[in-house]
Amino acid sequence: MVLLARRKSLIAALLFVIAVAVYPLAFPDSYHLGVGISAGAMAVSTVGVVLLLGLAHQLAIGQAAFSMIGGYANAILCVRYGWDPFAALLAGAVMAMALAYVVAAPILKLRGFVLAMATLALHLMLIVVAVELSFTGGPMGVTGIPKFHVFGISLADDRAFFWFVWLLVFGAVWIGLNIDRSAIGRALRAIAASEQAAGSVGVDITRHKVQMFVIGGGMASVSGSLLVHYLRATDPTVFGFSYSINLITGTIIGGLTSIWGGALGAAIIIFLRELLRDLALPLWESVIMGALTVIVLIAFPRGIAGFVSRIYDRMANEREVGRVVVTEPGAVAMQPLANPPMSHQPFLEVAGVSRAFGSLRAVSNVSFTVGPGAITALIGPNGAGKTTLFNLIGGYLTLDAGVVRFEGREIQALPPRDVAQLGIGRTFQNLQLFDNMTVLENVMCGQHRFTTHAVLPIALRLAAQRQEAGIRHAALEALGFVGLQGAEQHEPAVLPFGHQRLVEIARALALRPRLLLMDEPASGLNDTETERLAELIVRIAALGVTVLVVEHDMRLVMGLADHVVVMDHGEMIAEGAPDVVRGEPAVIAAYLGQEAPARAA
Amino acid sequence: MDTTVLLQLLLPGLTTGCVYALVALGFVLCANVSGVVNFAQGEFVMLGGMAAAWLIGLDLPFVLAILVATALGAGVGALQEFLTLAPVRRQPHFIQITTTVGFAVVLRGITLIVAGKDALSLPGFSGDGVFFVFGAILPVQSLWVWGATLLLLLGTFSFLRYTNVGRAVRACSINLQAARLMGVNAERLRVIVFAVSGATGALAGVVITPLVLASWDAGLTYSTKGFIGAILGGFRSPATAVLGGLFIGLLESLGAGYVSSGWKDFIVYGVLLAWLLIQGGVFLRGRAGAVTGGP
Repeated sequence: MVLLARRKSLIAALLFVIAVAVYPLAFPDSYHLGVGISAGAMAVSTVGVVLLLGLAHQLAIGQAAFSMIGGYANAILCVRYGWDPFAALLAGAVMAMALAYVVAAPILKLRGFVLAMATLALHLMLIVVAVELSFTGGPMGVTGIPKFHVFGISLADDRAFFWFVWLLVFGAVWIGLNIDRSAIGRALRAIAASEQAAGSVGVDITRHKVQMFVIGGGMASVSGSLLVHYLRATDPTVFGFSYSINLITGTIIGGLTSIWGGALGAAIIIFLRELLRDLALPLWESVIMGALTVIVLIAFPRGIAGFVSRIYDRMANEREVGRVVVTEPGAVAMQPLANPPMSHQPFLEVAGVSRAFGSLRAVSNVSFTVGPGAITALIGPNGAGKTTLFNLIGGYLTLDAGVVRFEGREIQALPPRDVAQLGIGRTFQNLQLFDNMTVLENVMCGQHRFTTHAVLPIALRLAAQRQEAGIRHAALEALGFVGLQGAEQHEPAVLPFGHQRLVEIARALALRPRLLLMDEPASGLNDTETERLAELIVRIAALGVTVLVVEHDMRLVMGLADHVVVMDHGEMIAEGAPDVVRGEPAVIAAYLGQEAPARAA
Repeated sequence: MDTTVLLQLLLPGLTTGCVYALVALGFVLCANVSGVVNFAQGEFVMLGGMAAAWLIGLDLPFVLAILVATALGAGVGALQEFLTLAPVRRQPHFIQITTTVGFAVVLRGITLIVAGKDALSLPGFSGDGVFFVFGAILPVQSLWVWGATLLLLLGTFSFLRYTNVGRAVRACSINLQAARLMGVNAERLRVIVFAVSGATGALAGVVITPLVLASWDAGLTYSTKGFIGAILGGFRSPATAVLGGLFIGLLESLGAGYVSSGWKDFIVYGVLLAWLLIQGGVFLRGRAGAVTGGP
């Protein structure tokens, strides 16, 4: 699928290059060149909108604010201070990105639509500033903006400027594609599919959304700069509300989830606008843009790019993605842990942990330790509080009292992503795979904690390539280790349930966990699959990974575990070696429903 | 401080605040039953004012024009939910919200085509006279705005409190999932709530138009200011949303009076930004999603 995406992207690039090369030759007059320049200027920012809206799921309703900063920075710096246009363009981008960071970093914590409204408010504030200050030229704006030149080369000729603008579009697309295919792109898609699972592999969602916001702001700013150099003037109406709307509509028509689609959408919008003007229907612009937004979202949520891509898939029959071969666990070897935990210290220590939901005491005062390198099973009847305890250890729930120590460090206050960063992996009882990615990409997400998340090296492809190869290699290894080969390019949803479980285990293993938490891994599996699972768990432990498994299936547990902790009604009722625990009256009572003979509380 | 000057600012602020309050109320009610922030909320106000003024321009009787404008608000609200939101219900949340933005733009565009670019006006319901409150001069129309708002609020809150449908709406605002499990017909409820908030918005637009003119592009301001009111009120409780909306009206008027009318919007939007930055930066360190109420 990744290769397929590459090939599609290559075809798109080729078509774009041809279109950009041919257009000025076919339409050499200044009107058409101007339309092409406007389309290019807009395409720079729609690429940013794809990152924001399509990838980070943040409604970019106030993007015009950042274009306005770029536009006015250029107008003022070039006209009043005689700056070089290119320097002004860069300065505008830096200003916009700084502002985007200052606004987004705190507000993104509040989630959802709030940031959309905050940026709209920012935009409307900037309009007031532009209208009210004489420095910005008031309602009349700034005129006499010079034509663009860069490094002493004049771009006064429309055709030269056209090519320069589209060169920047390709630059923006390149950056967008680098991000889309990087660990950051995967992290953002992971969040869209399942926040819990994204947390379990250590994804810091706020950080990545802020990154997209800052990059989108920078692109919007460059776009605004280019526009004012083409118009040679700016005023507050240039960057009005409809500017933002056109960006959104264009991106949606072109294809929210495709970088190339964003660029295409910008071109479509600009040509559509010109067409309406030619038809003397400028008043219809608003209705048509709004209606297109709604209709495309309802009928083709992935826009033209998604539509074309699907047709291409069908024609090329690229869905032939290989046959899945299930092998014995461990068919592909994995490196054992380089520094396995030492045996003399308590590895995971749960001390006096309690958690109540209202008046229900789901977990009350539970204490036990998990030795390094061992397989510990946490068992108990339904409603015993096992999964709650699991979620407390993993940081998915906050505890009311108690301490959880991992290798001597208190972790009970950490959010899941930080717990994962320490090397604690987990699987979920109800599978939480990222259904918007292939099996391989799912497992690659497991490597998140080993990857660079700095956006600059990724955007400029300084770190990404070598890193990606390593990630892919590790992911394939993990898939082979769990005994699932040939499934890489499938979407997880098409696999049988038992295979999906293996994918999730592979994802957790790709994290190179020191401790692996498995929540009822055998549920939904048949006997053969359960046997394989038992063997797999033993092999995982042999890598030096400590395993804590919550399980219902007594047979699985008794044959597997070195140590068993039994819970009932939120309390720990027994602990010890499997054979010892099996004989405890309290355990028998809990499982068979007898009245427990005077159990110690 | 001169009380007369202060009153001369506060009372008109209260009048526009009434409109923001009703928009804020609509925001919260729609979000509670559908989980979607309806960015078209302010467009209902614009629609009501424009429709009434345009219909009266066609020589429709005054009362009939008002009724038609209000019914139009209700119809458009219901239509929005039924036609544009129901089909994207299973899409990600941001797509649903984007759909409401698109719908808002359509409403603006249609109004522009039908009624034209120029701002329209309405005569005061009982003449264009004025009255005095402790020396402050107010147009008589203010009384209509206050009265209409009071009636609409009373109506909405007794609907929420005393009718079955209203109780269902409140159940949804506490826990949408649980309410659905308890047999609340969420689909029907959404259409009703969108219709009600459309009608409230439109009627607010009708009564405010004699004071501020109606224009095709006025909805955006009503949306943003009503939204700010709702956010300041926590975006969950209808009552605090109303207070938030009133506060924005007063703040805006004070800003216009003591700073300048050009900068009043800057002040209001600045308050929103500052509030959000403080909430995100200080109060909510690590606790995500607490103010939004939405999913």
